[in-house]
Amino acid sequence: MNEAQLLQSILASLPEIWVVTAACILLIGGLFVPKGRGDVLVLASVAVVLIAAAMTLMLAGEVRPAYSGMFLADRFAVFIKVVCYLGTALTILMSRRYAEIEGIERCEYYVLLLFALTGMMIMASATDLLMVYVGLELMSLCTYVLTGFMRTERRSNEAALKYVILGAVATGVFLYGVSLVYGLTGTTQLDAFAASAGEGGADTGLALAVIFIVAGLVFKIGAVPFHMWVPDVYEGAPTTITAFMSVGPKAAGFAVVLRVFLNPLVAASDVWIIVAVLAVATMALGSFVALVQDNIKRLLAYSSIAHAGFALFGVVAGGADGIASVMLYLLIYAFMNLGIFGAVVMMRNGARSGEAIEDYAGLARSHRVLALLLLLYLFSLAGIPPTAGFFAKFYVLVALVDQGFVILAVIAVLLSAVAAYFYIRIVMVIYMREPSGAFDPALTPGLRVVLAVTALGTLGIGLFPAWFLGLAQQSVFGG
Amino acid sequence: MAVPWLSLIVFLPAAGAALLMVLRDDAAVRWVALSVTLADLALCLGLLAGFDGSTHAMQFTETRDWVPALGIRYALGVDGISALFVFLTALLGVVSVLASWAAIATRVKEFMVSLLVMQTLMLGVFAALDLFLFYVFWEAMLIPMYVIIGVWGGEGRVYAAVKFFLYTLAGSLLFLVGVIVLYFQGGRTFDILALMDGDYPFAVQAWLFFAFLVAFAVKVPMVPVHTWLPDAHVEAPTAGSIILAGVLLKMGAYGFLRFSLPMLPDASVHFAPLMLALSALAIVYGGLLALAQDDLKKLVAYSSISHMGFVTLGIFALNIRGLQGGILQMFNHGVTTGALFLFVGLIYERTHSRSIADYGGLMKVAPVYTVFLALFTLASMALPGTNAFVGELLVLSGGFAVSLAAGAAAVLGALLSAAYLLSMYRRVALGPARVAERHEVWDLNARELAAALPLAVFVLWVGLYPKPFLGIIDASVSHLLAQVHGQEGGP
Repeated sequence: MNEAQLLQSILASLPEIWVVTAACILLIGGLFVPKGRGDVLVLASVAVVLIAAAMTLMLAGEVRPAYSGMFLADRFAVFIKVVCYLGTALTILMSRRYAEIEGIERCEYYVLLLFALTGMMIMASATDLLMVYVGLELMSLCTYVLTGFMRTERRSNEAALKYVILGAVATGVFLYGVSLVYGLTGTTQLDAFAASAGEGGADTGLALAVIFIVAGLVFKIGAVPFHMWVPDVYEGAPTTITAFMSVGPKAAGFAVVLRVFLNPLVAASDVWIIVAVLAVATMALGSFVALVQDNIKRLLAYSSIAHAGFALFGVVAGGADGIASVMLYLLIYAFMNLGIFGAVVMMRNGARSGEAIEDYAGLARSHRVLALLLLLYLFSLAGIPPTAGFFAKFYVLVALVDQGFVILAVIAVLLSAVAAYFYIRIVMVIYMREPSGAFDPALTPGLRVVLAVTALGTLGIGLFPAWFLGLAQQSVFGG
Repeated sequence: MAVPWLSLIVFLPAAGAALLMVLRDDAAVRWVALSVTLADLALCLGLLAGFDGSTHAMQFTETRDWVPALGIRYALGVDGISALFVFLTALLGVVSVLASWAAIATRVKEFMVSLLVMQTLMLGVFAALDLFLFYVFWEAMLIPMYVIIGVWGGEGRVYAAVKFFLYTLAGSLLFLVGVIVLYFQGGRTFDILALMDGDYPFAVQAWLFFAFLVAFAVKVPMVPVHTWLPDAHVEAPTAGSIILAGVLLKMGAYGFLRFSLPMLPDASVHFAPLMLALSALAIVYGGLLALAQDDLKKLVAYSSISHMGFVTLGIFALNIRGLQGGILQMFNHGVTTGALFLFVGLIYERTHSRSIADYGGLMKVAPVYTVFLALFTLASMALPGTNAFVGELLVLSGGFAVSLAAGAAAVLGALLSAAYLLSMYRRVALGPARVAERHEVWDLNARELAAALPLAVFVLWVGLYPKPFLGIIDASVSHLLAQVHGQEGGP
């Protein structure tokens, strides 16, 4: 690599470099922040994310390959990174008061979030399986620690342990697949590996390798059959971290899935059948099991499984529209899911855990605006127009039908009718029950910002989807 | 045209709802809601005055790009068929606000906001000329209606609301897949008029017909997917029942008229016998169920199933009189059944009982009430001189022209409706004044009269002089019929 290439590479990965550097500085600087001044940490880390976002957008003008083809800063990566910035920034904003209440207000909390963000950014840009691995591990290790951040809480510890063990196995499986690919083709770069595989036709060994890689990735997006960790980890982790995990890592996981699956070779093979089966099973499991949950965090865990299933339908559809539909889905899901998690975080105050669905009974009586916002997020998650959640599903369906998968589209809508039930059940509890006590939501300025941004996104994209759709369509790689 | 009249009509209630959000006083909320619906009705009257009945073309059209990448536009417009229902919706909007004046005592603001949002969405459904836009309005109605039934309904409201929601959603989602398939079949457009001109292979038409049928049949409702209706109607507050019966049920039939018939003509002709059989079944079965009811609201609800059977029977007779009768009957059913639900609600406010057995001799204590009740009851059973007579006569003559059996079933249904309605009226209004012994019953007040009078006017106007109403729909019906039979060279 000569000097010009090195400079070019540094420029392409400037946002990543910035976030890592800033996180390190924050780690040291955080030692000098007096206790009880968490607001400084919040502001500093949000600023880091925003500056990174500004850098990413400024560099978005052209496609920048870097580090000898291991890393690619293209528009697709920009789109996914924006979703990750959104998830991280909003998570940080909703954290302050919750962290105080749970006694986990430490500077490492924010630093780990920023490191996890770096991992996700690397995943979004990675065009080499080893690079994917580096990003994946960086992100995973941070989320393992964050899951167990409530050190005195048994649930949190148990969740973290489960997550580490299962996650390590999944990463191992992924790595094994990568080693097979290297052994068979002599490269780990996605393009090169695709090209050499294309010559040989359907190679059994390569198919096996792809299956291992798929298994590792499917674990990260929480799809069947590697979904078992999701409910326990979502329930045990601090709620803010649950919100973060349901958006950022999932988006990054889907980014890799899209890059791996939709390069021309894999798209031409019959892998889509496997993905289609996974999508149906994932959505069915998430939708049906969520029906019987009483804990809202568990319910949202199964709901996120169901949504991952729906987004997988977009992967099945493939093509430019399929990719764009998954990207748009991820963006919209980030808004509505962070919104609902913001509300759950807020309910954690005083004696209320805010985790039982019954805790929300009669909220509409005393907190009209809050109840209305929850109604908006829930109907959006259920996919009822004019919310953004509807448009997300609609576009996936358009992509499916365009490719001739009408039966899959019918299955998808029928399962989302099932899923609608548990969302409207929460609406029912909020609006149609009598309150059992006074509510005292911890409504901090940060949370207000979170709710305003997410509500605006959820309703705004629903009413005026054209611009966002155009953005997703222009950001599709290779098309 | 410089002034976007239809957009004004559609979004005025939504703007009113936004205004209500900032009000604090319940009385002010009621008055603002009433003024908004009245203003909307006035706009609709203006619309009808400017409506040209001699053409089937869409009028008052507006078009704007919405999501150009997918060919989605914001397009509104009315022809004779939809103009009638835009007007009906606006009329029943005023009636609903008046009906909720005293009946809704808690969370008045939220109720009126839901009602006005609902109003916007219903008007949007009838005015939309873009299939995507139509679907957004159609599906979004679930949200306010779910809240209206679930929060302000009777004892079993939660169950009824959830059932209503899931039935309608499951139906609509299949419709959505059908819409997307049609989008690709029709050359990537959601333009309703362009889609009507398309010529689709029969196999595609047949599948789409059933995808659409599920959505529309749930809304109408047709037997056997009618079971949400008694629950929803009985548990909903009065205004909710009026909207459900008066407007929402019409949307299913409107869907057949706007989509199934013109876009899928071959399938419509092919499956017409099936539809006639289902309609005949609904007429007789709904009538028999109504005959067995003791609950006033349930009786009216089941009678709706029977009467909507007349509507679908007329539509799928696929001849001029059947279609005219079906459409006119949609309007009539909205007026009379809306009125009947209103009157059940009014008496319920006084006695808190819906059981027919609790009543008797209302005529002695509330004469004005019973006079109006008599008028609407007779209208509902299609007595000559009332609106439903004209509609049912047209439906029958259209029905007999295509199928003797269907016509016979409709006659049987008409007899049944005379039986249950007259018996209901006898037991409620005539006889000794037993109800007054237990409850204080007072006659209609000015507000209630204001709600009832316009409906009574339309009962008699359509009954005695239906020509202006037929004049509005005439050109559009002929055009629709030409679209259905076009490929086959006439009826």
